[in-house]
Parts: sequence; C-alpha cells; structure tokens
Amino acid sequence: METPRDDQLAADLRALRPTPHPEFAAELDHRAAAGFPRRSRLPRLSFGRLRGMPPRRLLLPAGGLAIVAIAAVTAVVTTTESGNPSESGNGSGSGSTLGFLNTFDSDSQPEQPPAYIPGATEEAAAAGESSSSSSVTGANTELRPFSRTERLSGPARHRAVERSAELVLGADPSDVADDSAAVFEAVHAHGGIVMRSSTREGEPGVAGARFELLIPSAKLSDALAALSAIDEVRSRHEATADITAPTVQTGELLQDSKARIDSLLAQLEAAETESEREAVEGELAAERRHRARLRTQLQHLERRADYSRVLVRIETGASEDSSGGGAWGVDDALGDAGRILAVAAAVAVVALAILGPIALIALLAWLSHRAWVRRERHRVLS
Amino acid sequence: MDPGTQRSTDMEQTLVAEAKDAPRAADLAFERLYRSSRDDVYAYVASMLRDAAAAEEVTAAAFERAYRKRNRFDPDRGEPRAWLFGIARNAALDELRRRGRQAELTAEPADLETFGPTEGAEHSERRLAVSAALDRLQAGERELIALKFFAGLANAEIAQVLGTSESNAGTKLHRAMTKLREACDGDA
Repeated sequence: METPRDDQLAADLRALRPTPHPEFAAELDHRAAAGFPRRSRLPRLSFGRLRGMPPRRLLLPAGGLAIVAIAAVTAVVTTTESGNPSESGNGSGSGSTLGFLNTFDSDSQPEQPPAYIPGATEEAAAAGESSSSSSVTGANTELRPFSRTERLSGPARHRAVERSAELVLGADPSDVADDSAAVFEAVHAHGGIVMRSSTREGEPGVAGARFELLIPSAKLSDALAALSAIDEVRSRHEATADITAPTVQTGELLQDSKARIDSLLAQLEAAETESEREAVEGELAAERRHRARLRTQLQHLERRADYSRVLVRIETGASEDSSGGGAWGVDDALGDAGRILAVAAAVAVVALAILGPIALIALLAWLSHRAWVRRERHRVLS
Repeated sequence: MDPGTQRSTDMEQTLVAEAKDAPRAADLAFERLYRSSRDDVYAYVASMLRDAAAAEEVTAAAFERAYRKRNRFDPDRGEPRAWLFGIARNAALDELRRRGRQAELTAEPADLETFGPTEGAEHSERRLAVSAALDRLQAGERELIALKFFAGLANAEIAQVLGTSESNAGTKLHRAMTKLREACDGDA
C-alpha cells in the first residue's frame, strides 16, 4: 500500500465522513419546519436519572438548594417574628404600656404594691403585658376584646389580667352631641362607669369629645362593639397586663399580716405587765394599719382586673394622623407622600436584605457551575 | 458526488414554520444556516460520539439550542457556522461527560462494504488504514481533523469553535495531519 499523499489523504478522510440516516434527517427537517418545539424535559429530571448521577455532580446543586432553603426559612421566620411584635394573651409577652393609660389622673390609679409594682410601665415590664392595635378609616370594625374567661377558667384560672383599650371615633361636628349621648348609653348598658368626660362643639377639628371609662372586664367585648358602632372607627388599641404576680404577692403579705396579728393577740393575752401590754398593743396597731393598706392594695388590684380602662375619643375633621386636626391640604399630601415613600423604601430595603444574599448565592453557584462545566468539557478531550 | 464536497443543501421543504407575519431576518438566517449545516453538524458530532443514536440526539439538541439562541447571535463576533459548531461541540462534550467516557473522535469503525460496490478494494483498504490511524491520534487532534474534513470548516471557523487564533488552529491542524500521515505510513 502506498503512503497517501495530502490530497489523497484528504479525500479518504472525507470518504469516512459520517452521514445522517435519511429518517433522522427527515425528522429533523420536520422539527426545524415546526420551529424546534420543545421536547419534554421530564425524563431528564426523573429520579432514575438523578440516581444515576455521580454524587459530586449532585453536590453543588444540592448544596445551593439547601442554602437557598435555609435562607428562605430564616427570612420567613425573621419576618414573622418582626411582623408580630405583640400577641394577645395573659402570659409572658412583654411590651410597652399604652400611652393613654398615663392620661388618667394619678388619683384614679389603684395603689401599687410598693415593693413589686413601682409604676405601671415597670410593672408591665416585670409582669406579662401585651397589646394589639389597629387603625381603621371609613368603616366600623368588629372588635375582638378580651374575655374574662382568660382570668377565670382553664390554664389561666388563677391569673389576674388588667385590660385597657383606646378607641378613636370620627364624626361630623353636628354628630358629636349625639355620639356622646350614645357613649353614655353604651357605658351604662354594660354596667360601666364614666370617670371623666368632656365635650367641645365648634368647627371640624375643634369639636370633639373625650371619655375615660371603666368597663367590667367581663363585658368589655360587648361594650367595645357597642362603642364602635356609634360612628366611624379611626383607630383602636387594646392592651393587657398580667398583674398576677403583684396580686398573689399582696395576698401572701396579707395572710402573713393576719398571722402576725393573731400572734400579737396571743402575746397580748399572755402579757403580765402594763408596759409589756402597751408594747404589744403598739405593734398590734401598726400591724393592723399595715394589714389595712395591704387589703386596700389587693382590692385595687382586683378592681384593675375586674374593670377595664377604656378611653374613647370622638374627633371631627381629618384624622390626626394625616392632618394634625385641620383640613387635608397640600402639606398633608406631601406628608402622606413622604410617608408612603419611606414605607416603600423600607419595604425595598427589607426585600433587598432577603433577596440580595439569595441572589448572590445563586450567582456564585451559577459561576461555579459554569467554571466546573468548562473544566469538565476540557477534561473530556484532554 | 464526492461526499467531501457535499454540503447540506438538498432540502426540499420549508424549514421555518409558516407565520402570519413575514419571517424575521433571524429566522431566515437560521433557516439558511440549518440548510447548509445539518449534515456537517451530524458528521462532526457522530465523529466525536461514535454512536449514531447519540449523535442524532445531540445534533437535534444542538440545533434546538441554536434556534432558541438565534436572536442572541452577534455577527460581529464570528461566523454563524462557527457559532453553531461551538454549540454542537458543547452539546457533544456534555454528552461525553454524561456518559463518562473519553472522547472518541473518529467515525464508527469503517467496514469494507460501506464504501460501496464501485469502490475498489485498494481504496477500501486504504481508507480502513486511515480510519485506524485516526483512532491512534489524540482526542484534540482527531477533533481538529473532524472539524476540517467532516464538518468542512475553514481554519478561521475552526479557530472560533476552539477559541484560539487562526494561525494556532492552522498549526495544530498541520501537526495533526502530519501525525496522521505518519500513522498511515506506519500501517503501510
């Protein structure tokens, strides 16, 4: 056999050129004419094919998927926790006391056990306190006040919970008087007490009314529903504070005081000298005063649990949140626009904080996969 | 007809789906590319895979990928055939990776009967010797020869497919041909 020359070698190579089967060529022509319709990719993703893959090929996608899943779960959990800062209940939640509680006069506040409850806010921090609130415009809302059964039944049988609420109603100036009368009727219908009230007539934004109420906790639900039905509900706030600890503590101190008094009475009977008797009587008088104070404290605590403080305000004109009491104008619109932009920016930042790391991980995974594929393709021919 | 000079030009049917609107330039260009490259792509892919069924699958997949990406092709960055063969090369290499075997860059083992009754025995034996010599080349050298003589690409197009310079591709091709010739001499 002769050594092939270049042209002969080229001709021989071309003669070795594979040619497609006519049936395949016709089928491919047909698919080309149809615009290469997508074939189902399901077989490529079947479990059997995945099982046949080497583990190192599954490592990167599986790791990336796991990281994305962890990031997503973390984001969801974080969002859930940050988006639900207050929960209704009588247990271990912590929060701040509603501001309107401080608007009540100090003399109307029950006396606090000095050793454990120096103030309402500190008490709320020490004891469980929770609050819920909502702002509504243009419609009456179905309120869900707290039930007395939380205190008297079930796991919370021995717990004392103080409840409070604030309700802001919007009304026309001409309706303020009628709405005020309706508030009185609703309070009396539910066995409540109007501690303080004030009504002003005048232009929109000036006219209004304010009521500081005590409502039996057992009827708070019905009372709030009745109050909300009077006019347009602009906002509603509810709060609870667990005062079980100070109540129990005061009760124990009261029992101790009673035992102390019994002991002193026994000592008084056994006293033989006048000076000894006078000394015991002095201690007995002091202990009785102490017991009276404790009893008063306990009664106040029980009253705080039995009666809920409710502040009802009737406003006229635009909502304070948007107008500051005057008619809604350009400044208010600019303020609203600024607030909307701020909220939108905050939402964008949160979304970016969640999606940014995920996108970065996905980008790194894609770049790694691309580099790995290129290296593997090169390795196939090397 | 010499199969080496045959290009994929014997299409008889319209290759792009009829549309209500006139086909766009990208569709027409792809149709021309498909007409001129169908058999060449198959020949190149089949020479890499040495499996007719897999070659058909990969060829179809390559054209499908190219069709999906036809609007992203930039004429300023190279020839359409080089772009198409780049896609086919990646598809073939991916198939080889999936199958986990080394590249085999020759046609299926030649058989004396495949050269037809008109071929002389001397030609058939010589082509068998060329096929055997081709098997002994390195994978990259066999790919160069396949791109040149099976796919019919110019050196510039080969350079684009492999991502190298034209002079480098020409030099490598020359070395591969020299080795092939020496291998054939060894067989002789």
